[in-house]
Amino acid sequence: MNLYEKIKIIYPQLEDKDFFTVIHLQNDSDGKGDYIAKWEHPTLAKPTDEELA
Amino acid sequence: MASIINASSSGAGGLISTGDSSGSLQLQSNGVTVATIAASGVNAGIQMGAAFAPAFSAYSTTLTSASNATWTKVTFNTEEFDTNSNFASNRFTPTVAGYYQVNVCISGPSSTTGIIAVNIYKNGASFKIGNAISNITVGTYVVAAALIYCNGSTDYIEAYAIQSTGGTANVGSNSVEFGFSASMVRSA
Repeated sequence: MNLYEKIKIIYPQLEDKDFFTVIHLQNDSDGKGDYIAKWEHPTLAKPTDEELA
Repeated sequence: MASIINASSSGAGGLISTGDSSGSLQLQSNGVTVATIAASGVNAGIQMGAAFAPAFSAYSTTLTSASNATWTKVTFNTEEFDTNSNFASNRFTPTVAGYYQVNVCISGPSSTTGIIAVNIYKNGASFKIGNAISNITVGTYVVAAALIYCNGSTDYIEAYAIQSTGGTANVGSNSVEFGFSASMVRSA
């Protein structure tokens, strides 16, 4: 399961447009995988590492 | 050849000039040609030395795999030109301070749902987002272009893409028709 799918399970109300604007998941193509580069959602808190584990 | 005016700092320093009958003029700093001026020929006008006006163009022969809704750095494994060796590891780090015209064009997957977009990153962060296209039923391409200041030392530029077809999909450049390029427009 990738990071996007994990976040959608935690916050199913998120829409894809949120990931173009207030939330940026990022992958630097360096083999380290996806990570949260920006989380500026006005009402939903950034998931913790424990929630994403 | 050319007539030369050299601003030298060796010894007592000063201007050193030599002349010939070529009709072109080289402006040098410590013996290094910064610009050449000519009134005719294929290099007519003011030609900046390659090291003082960096430009590059790159593309890739393979696509980049991107997770759904995740900004993913696009890789470029083939250089068309790189006048000052400032492009490496999918990153443009110009060593001359100035304003650079940056262009990115990438291809996207075919899907009846979702969006593809491209983004110019500066120093590892989203900087100038290009156009986004939805309902990419036959595959498509998106572009981003911007005039960006780079400080000539630490600033660097990269290209990222995003797709939201619902799963992992390929984005990026897979032919010379797509690519990533930049050129100095003027110095700082």
